[in-house]
Amino acid sequence: MEAPPVTVMPVTGGTINMMEYLLQGSVLDQALDSLLHRLRGLCDSMEPETFTDHELVYLLKGQQGNPFILRARRSLSHPNTPWHLRYLGQPEVGDKSRHALVRNCVDVATSHNLPEFLNEMGFRMDHEFVATGHMFRKGAMKIVVSKLSRILVPGNTENTERLSLSCLVELSVLAPAGQDTVSEDMRSLAEQLKPLLHLEKIDPSKQRH
Amino acid sequence: MSGGPAVRVSIESSCEKQVQEVALDGTETYVPPLSMSQNLAKLAQRIDFSQGSDSEEDSAEGEPRDREWGKQEQEEEEGTVKFQPSLWPWDSVRNNLRSALTEMCVLYDVLSVVKEKKYMALDPVSQDPTAGKTPQVFQLISKKKSLAIAAQLLLKGGEKLTKSVAENQENRRQRDFNSELLRLRSQWKLRKVGDKILGDLSYRSAGSLFPHHGAFEVIKNTDIDLDKKIPEDYCPLDVLIPSDLDGSAYIKVSIQKQAPDIGDLGTVNLFRRPQKNKGSTQPWHVKLEAAQNVLLCKEIFAQLSREAVQIKSQIPHIVVKNQIISQPFPGLQLSISLCHSTSGEKKSSRASPEKSKPDNHLYVLEHNLHQMMREFHKQQLSSVVMPHPATAPFGHKRLRLAGPLAYDKTEISNLQQSEGLLEKIIKQAKHIFLRSRTARTIDSLASRIEDPQIQAHWSNINDVYESSVKVLITSQGYEQICKSIQLQLNIGVEQIRVVHRDGRVITLSHQEQELQDFLLSQMSQHQVHAVQQLAKVMGWHVLSFSNHVGLGPVESIGNASAVTVASPNGEYAISVRNGPESGCKVLVQFPRSQIKELPKSDIIQDAKWSHLRGPYKEVHWSKMEGRNFVYKMELLMAALTPCP
Repeated sequence: MEAPPVTVMPVTGGTINMMEYLLQGSVLDQALDSLLHRLRGLCDSMEPETFTDHELVYLLKGQQGNPFILRARRSLSHPNTPWHLRYLGQPEVGDKSRHALVRNCVDVATSHNLPEFLNEMGFRMDHEFVATGHMFRKGAMKIVVSKLSRILVPGNTENTERLSLSCLVELSVLAPAGQDTVSEDMRSLAEQLKPLLHLEKIDPSKQRH
Repeated sequence: MSGGPAVRVSIESSCEKQVQEVALDGTETYVPPLSMSQNLAKLAQRIDFSQGSDSEEDSAEGEPRDREWGKQEQEEEEGTVKFQPSLWPWDSVRNNLRSALTEMCVLYDVLSVVKEKKYMALDPVSQDPTAGKTPQVFQLISKKKSLAIAAQLLLKGGEKLTKSVAENQENRRQRDFNSELLRLRSQWKLRKVGDKILGDLSYRSAGSLFPHHGAFEVIKNTDIDLDKKIPEDYCPLDVLIPSDLDGSAYIKVSIQKQAPDIGDLGTVNLFRRPQKNKGSTQPWHVKLEAAQNVLLCKEIFAQLSREAVQIKSQIPHIVVKNQIISQPFPGLQLSISLCHSTSGEKKSSRASPEKSKPDNHLYVLEHNLHQMMREFHKQQLSSVVMPHPATAPFGHKRLRLAGPLAYDKTEISNLQQSEGLLEKIIKQAKHIFLRSRTARTIDSLASRIEDPQIQAHWSNINDVYESSVKVLITSQGYEQICKSIQLQLNIGVEQIRVVHRDGRVITLSHQEQELQDFLLSQMSQHQVHAVQQLAKVMGWHVLSFSNHVGLGPVESIGNASAVTVASPNGEYAISVRNGPESGCKVLVQFPRSQIKELPKSDIIQDAKWSHLRGPYKEVHWSKMEGRNFVYKMELLMAALTPCP
C-alpha cells in the first residue's frame, strides 16, 4: 500500500508566521488591587477573567549549543480544555525604536497526552510552575497579570510556594509578521499604566546567566 | 506868611523819660523805657483775675461784692459796668483764662472724686420721671427715626447677602468648565494627551471591530461676550466630533414592488427633524450620542455591504451609493439604505420613490439591525473567547477543540457562524412580508365571503422567523355544531405550514394564490361537514360522505365534497354536493308514493313498496329561506321531517 503523500516542503503561512509582540513589567502585591482596577477601566468592558495554569518547559538538547525549548501549558481551572504547546523564537533584532519585543511564535492546541508525547520525542522537562491571575483584553491586546508559584513535588500542583511577593504583568499581541503598528497601540496602553506599572521590553537572552 | 527873617523853630519832644539821675557833669541818665515784653508784663500784672466781668460765682468773700457794688456806683456814674477801664484790651483774655481755669478745676475735682472716692463718691441720681417728660409726638418721631436707621442697616446687609447668593447661583448656572468636565467624564471615556483632552465615542471597547477611531476633542467654550447676558443654554464645554460623524443618521429598511428602472436609484435622503433637546441633557451629550449613532449606522451599513458583495446568493444583491437592494421574493424589492443628514443641510427631502408610501419604513427591522450589531459586539467580548490556558490565542473555545479532536470540515463549518447580518435581515424581511400578506389574504377572504365565516386568531408571541395563526371556518349561529375545520398556520420565512384538525400537514409556498385557493377549498368542505354534523343533531342518518368526489364537473380549485343524509323515518333523503367553484347543489329524494304518475307494474304488487324513496328533485337553493347555508339546510330538514 502506498504511503499517503507527505509534502517535504516546509509549511509556510497560516499560523507559522505569527509574531508575538511583548512588553513585560511587574507590580508588588500591595499595588495589585489598584492595578486591576486600572486595567478594568482601560480595557474592554467584560467580566474580569481569572485563570490557574500549570506550565511545563521542555528542552531538547542537541549537539548544537542552544537547546530547543517548547512550553506546554494546561489550565487547572478548566481541566477539559486542550493543552497548549508554544514555541517562542529568538527576539527579532530590528530597529531599536520598536517599542515591544518581537519574536516568532507558534501556538498549537493539543490533546491531553502531550507530556508523554514530548517525552517519547526526546524532550526532557526542565522546570514547571503554576501561574494564577487575571486576564484582560483590549481589542487584540492581551494583558495577563500572574502570580507565579514553584512546584515543590514534581507533578503535584497542589503543593506550591510563591516565588516572590510581586506579580508579573505581560502585554502581548499576536499578529502576522510585518504589522508594526500594533507596537504603537501597545506603547500607548503602557503609557496609560504609568506610573503604577512600567512595561518595557526585556530581552530574555540578556537575562541568562 | 513871609516877610520876616526866618526864624528857626526847633521842636523837641517833651522828655517823657524819667530822669533817673543827673550826673555831676550834667548828663542825665534816663530810666530806660520799658521794652515791649516789660510793658506787657506790667500791664498783665494789673489784671485782676479774681474779678471777672461776667462772674456769677457766689464766692463768700465780700470783696468782689464790694467791688461789684463799687462797680455799680461807678455804673451809675459812668454808665458802663462791664469792664475795668484800665483792663479793656485784656478783658477777653482775662475772662477766657479765668473760665479755662474754672473748667480745669472742675474737671480735676470730678476726676479726683471718681478716682479716690475718699470724701465724695458718685451716686446715680434718681431721675424724676416727670422731670424729663418729653412730649409723645417727639418720642414717636425719635423711635421711628431710630427704627428707620436700624432697618436701613439690616436692608443693606440683606442686599449684600442676596447679591452674593445670586452670584453663586449665577456661577452654578454657568457651570464652570471643571464641573462640566467631571460630568462628561462620568458618562464618556476621556484621556489626556499632552495638553488636549481626547475622548472615545466608538464601540471598540464594547467589542466592535470597525476601524473608525471615533475620537472627539473637548475644548473650552471661550467665545462668550461677558458684557452681554449669558444665554440660557450656554455651556463652558464644547466637543469637537469628527466631521464624518456630523449630523444624524438612521438605517431605512423598506419593501416595495420592484422598481422599474435601476437608474432611478439615487441617494435616498430623508431628513428627519432633529429631536428637541430636552432641558436636562447637556448639548454635548446630545451631540456625542448623535455621533455615536452615526458611527453605529455606518458600521452596520459597512458590514451589510461587505456581505452583499462577498456572499454568493442566487439573486445577487446590488449595492448602489447608500443603498443595498436585494430581492427576497420575485417581484419584490428590499432596500436597505443609510440616511445620513449632516447638520449643515437644511433643504427639504427630495422627492424619492419612497415618499408616496411614508409608512413603508420597517422600523422593526431597523431596530433589529441595531440589536444584531450589538449582539455581534457582545459576542466578541464574551468570556467564551478568553483562552484557557492564558497563553493561548483568542478564539472561540469550541474552535480550539478542532485540532485536538480532529474535526472535519463540516464540523468546523457548523461551529462557525454561517449567517451574516445581511442574510439574517433578509430572512426577517421575508417573514414580515409573508406574514403581512397572509393576514391580508385572510382578511380579504373574510370580507368577501359571508358564508361560511372565517376567523383568524393570531398568536401574540412570535419569533423573528416564525409566526402562527389559527384559522377557524364556521357558520354563523352553528359554531358549536360545525367546528370541524380548524387550521393552524405556521408562517415561516418562505413557506406556510398548515396543520389540519384531522392531522393532515400541508406546506404552502409563498404564493398568495395558493393560500387563497386552499382556504376556499376548505370553506366548501366546511359546508359539507356542517351538513354531516347537522344531520347528527337533527336525527338524520348519514348515508354517504366524501371529501373528494370524483363525480360531476372538475373543479379548478381543490375538489368537490358531497354528503347524503336520510330522514329519520327514511322517507326523504338529501344529497349535497359542494365545490369551491361550482357552488352547492342540493337534491332531495322523495318517496315513491308522492309521485304523481307512478307506472303501474305487474311485478310490484305490494303497497309497502311505495314507501321507498324514488326520484330526485333539485332544490332552488338561492330561493330558500335562511341567512346561511346551514340554516337553510336545517329548515329543509325540518320541513322534510313530518310532525308525528
